[in-house]
Amino acid sequence: MRYKLYGVVVVVLVVLFAAKPAPAHHAFAAEFDANKCTDLTGTFTAFEWDNPHGYFHMDVKDARGAVNSWSFETISVPALKRSGTSRRDFENAVGKTVTVRACLSKNGAKNRAAAETIKLPDGQVHRIGQDVEGRFKEE
Amino acid sequence: MKGRLSCYLTAVLAVLGILSMAFALAAQEGNSSQPAKSKQQPVPEGGPAPRTADGHPDLSGVWFGGRAGGHTDSPALRRQFDPKVTPEEPPPFQPWAAAKIKAMTQTDYELGRASVNCMPRGVPGMFLINPYPFEIVQTPGLFVQLDELNNNFRVVHTDGRAHNPDPDPAFDGDEVGHWDGDTLVIDVISIDERTWNNFTGWFHSDEEHVIERVKRPSLNYLTVQVTIEDPKVLTKPWTSAPRVWTLGHEDLLEYFCTNNQEVEQYKALKEKESDGNKK
Repeated sequence: MRYKLYGVVVVVLVVLFAAKPAPAHHAFAAEFDANKCTDLTGTFTAFEWDNPHGYFHMDVKDARGAVNSWSFETISVPALKRSGTSRRDFENAVGKTVTVRACLSKNGAKNRAAAETIKLPDGQVHRIGQDVEGRFKEE
Repeated sequence: MKGRLSCYLTAVLAVLGILSMAFALAAQEGNSSQPAKSKQQPVPEGGPAPRTADGHPDLSGVWFGGRAGGHTDSPALRRQFDPKVTPEEPPPFQPWAAAKIKAMTQTDYELGRASVNCMPRGVPGMFLINPYPFEIVQTPGLFVQLDELNNNFRVVHTDGRAHNPDPDPAFDGDEVGHWDGDTLVIDVISIDERTWNNFTGWFHSDEEHVIERVKRPSLNYLTVQVTIEDPKVLTKPWTSAPRVWTLGHEDLLEYFCTNNQEVEQYKALKEKESDGNKK
């Protein structure tokens, strides 16, 4: 009986966790892994306000306290500007703490990821990348 | 035994209750920290299209793909046609062309995409696979299209002149225009074989012939329907659904492709994939 109940719990938990939205299908999803997305907090160190993609760099401490430099890809400059992120937002973030939701490269490149959102030092969350995980689909 | 069972059941239900509350809270928190979802509506028709002094519809304006008249987070408003309303047939490839495209991997598609390799979209890609706005400047006898993407431009004479008898291949081809009633018809030949017509490997031959029909049915709307003939690659001509753009009220931005890291990344991915296949 005990095992049956454990079985029910396991099944219910599996169903709950499996109800994640399906990943979106586009170029970002081809280059970056929608199953390897994570939140990273660190110091925003530099950025490249360029096309076809912007990039920014962040120092992130790992579990052992070592600092690693990460690179994140964003959407293009016109797409950033039209969706409400200015160059000034990135300039103001340099040297400060930000949190990034990002998905790792499929090709195994070290510390390289596509940024989906960034929480800037003022606490505002900006969408700065494509929706690799499909979190912003219309209902 | 019964008592113990109900005890277990209660415990399980309590755990599930707490879990579902936690999930609900997490979902709420997630929503509050995310930008608000778009509730935008399509822009209205806005009345009749303006006309130029020579009586033709004036196609001039900054045009955004879809029905939002500008940037939108809404995939429904970004969409340029609804396949349920205006279905579009898949390209009728000859068997050899279909086999060539089928042999490509997703990574091959990415490496061939103009958005990855920064090559010009060309004709008709600037209408079929271009998510960025363009500006049309029309004068009597001339149609000028300024693409934000890669700062590309094209100039089409609309005075009914004939094609250049000996054109070089070009990304925008050799293009001439004429008016058919209120429709501007642009006829294009000699298109550089490096362009693709979609994001999934639709290559073409030196015999590709493209006809673009551009209309402004109302003040705020522009439609473009593209016909592609390619006797070396297709079994018959293909015609797109009318693709929709809406009038924007902002200038184009500069977009030069100066920091392309994509090709290198996809080549590394392709290498990793082929290593995986060897093992």
